[in-house]
Order: sequence, then C-alpha cells, then structure tokens
Amino acid sequence: MTELPAIIKKPIAPIDLVKYSGASGDFNEIHTVPAIAEEKGLDDTIAHGMFVMGWAAAAVEEWFPDRQLQSFGVRFQAVTHPGTVLVINGSMLTDKEGEILIKDQQGQTKLMGTFVLKNGST
Amino acid sequence: MVFDYAPFLVEAGKIKEFARALQLENPIYFDAEAAKSAGYRGIPAPPTFTTVIDFWNDRNFYQLFSNFLKLNPNNVLHGEQAYDYHKVIIAGDIISAQVTVKDQFHKKGKNFFQLETVYRNQQNETMAVGRATIIEMPEVTA
Repeated sequence: MTELPAIIKKPIAPIDLVKYSGASGDFNEIHTVPAIAEEKGLDDTIAHGMFVMGWAAAAVEEWFPDRQLQSFGVRFQAVTHPGTVLVINGSMLTDKEGEILIKDQQGQTKLMGTFVLKNGST
Repeated sequence: MVFDYAPFLVEAGKIKEFARALQLENPIYFDAEAAKSAGYRGIPAPPTFTTVIDFWNDRNFYQLFSNFLKLNPNNVLHGEQAYDYHKVIIAGDIISAQVTVKDQFHKKGKNFFQLETVYRNQQNETMAVGRATIIEMPEVTA
C-alpha cells in the first residue's frame, strides 16, 4: 500500500458555499443561511456533500494529473461547518485502485471513499 | 418507474463557474487549448459536474423529489454517492439523464432511497452512471 501526500485545504468560508450553491444549482438554504440551519437543529450551515466530494475528486486529480477516473464512490460520514480545515489523505492498494479519507483537524471523518483510475493517460 | 431530466447543454462557462467554485486550478477547465493539449476534444466537465445537470435542469432535482419521489427535497441527506465514468463529458455535449429508483427501504426510523442516474450524450452513448443513497430525515416536531 502506497500512501499519497496529504492535502490540507484552506478553511471553508461561508462564501465558498454560496459560490458552490450558485454553480451547482443546489440552493438548499441549509448550506447558506444560518437561521435555516438552526431551525434544522444544526449549530451552523453545512457544506454540500457534493462540495466535499468535489474536493475529493480534485485531490485524486492532484495526485494523478495525467490519469482519469474510471469509478469513484464515497460515503458522507459527518456534516462540515464553515471554518473547518479539511485534510485529505489517500493511499493506493494497487497501481489503479485507491482509497481516500477526508477528516477535519480534530480527526473526525467527513468522507471516505474508493476510486479506480483508468489505465494510461488521457 | 423512471424520471427523465430534460436534455442539458453543457456550456463552457458553466464548467468554468463550477471549477472556480471548487477552487480547481487545472487549466483544462478554463482554456480549450489547454484541454486539447491534454488530449481532450474540448473543455472537460469535472468528475462531479453531473450534479449541475441534475440541479440546473428544466426538469430538475426538486421536481424529481417533490413530484416523483414525493419527498421534501430540503428534508433529505445525501448518504453515499458513486460514479462509473465511461466517457468524459465535454463542453458542447447535450446530456440526457434518466433516474431509476433501484431500491427503497426503511431502516432505524428513516427512509432510504437508492437512485441510479444514467447520463447519455446526443449520440445516446452512456457517459457516466451515478448511484446515490438519499436518506429522508424524520420531520422535526418542535
């Protein structure tokens, strides 16, 4: 098993989630309006799961800039609030199958997943 | 039972906006020449771009939930998501996506839905297949 270099992201800012809402079209206000998030029993807004998966895909691309994904699957494990610093770790099981894990700096797992790379480059 | 999203033209500007929102820096998402140098026929859509096809659609994700699944789209959690990638979606492609409910079950007081979405291009080639697990949360009774 080969460890991939850890990627430490900048803290998630509320504006990041506003931009992602607009870009993706997911306008659930739980991601952008604190009062709505509080109505749902949360302490603050939460990042879109697909925002975190988008970062996961970007990490794979950073690790393997010349290869494409054949498949990619993730499980969302915990909600992520603005201010969180996500740390992305990965490892390769074979030359094309890998695992990815995203945690916050306190070690809480946010996302875990597996990916398979296509053979060769684009 | 299937739900068809409306055909969706993948625009380069929308790819750029989506890539910016995810803070992607790879020039293939912003510059057609860079994309061609990397071996693509045009600007490629990032791997999770299919979510844009679902949400920014004339028959969108909200209609899928409200009218087809009879769920409040603001009362669900995204539990799992997986994709199989067959061909890379490129700016200019027109993508038609079709959703099938593969399974539906009740566990620990919550309703689970397993949805499969097949994304096809204008030549009816399968580009990607998405598999989502959606969890309906119990209504909060305050």
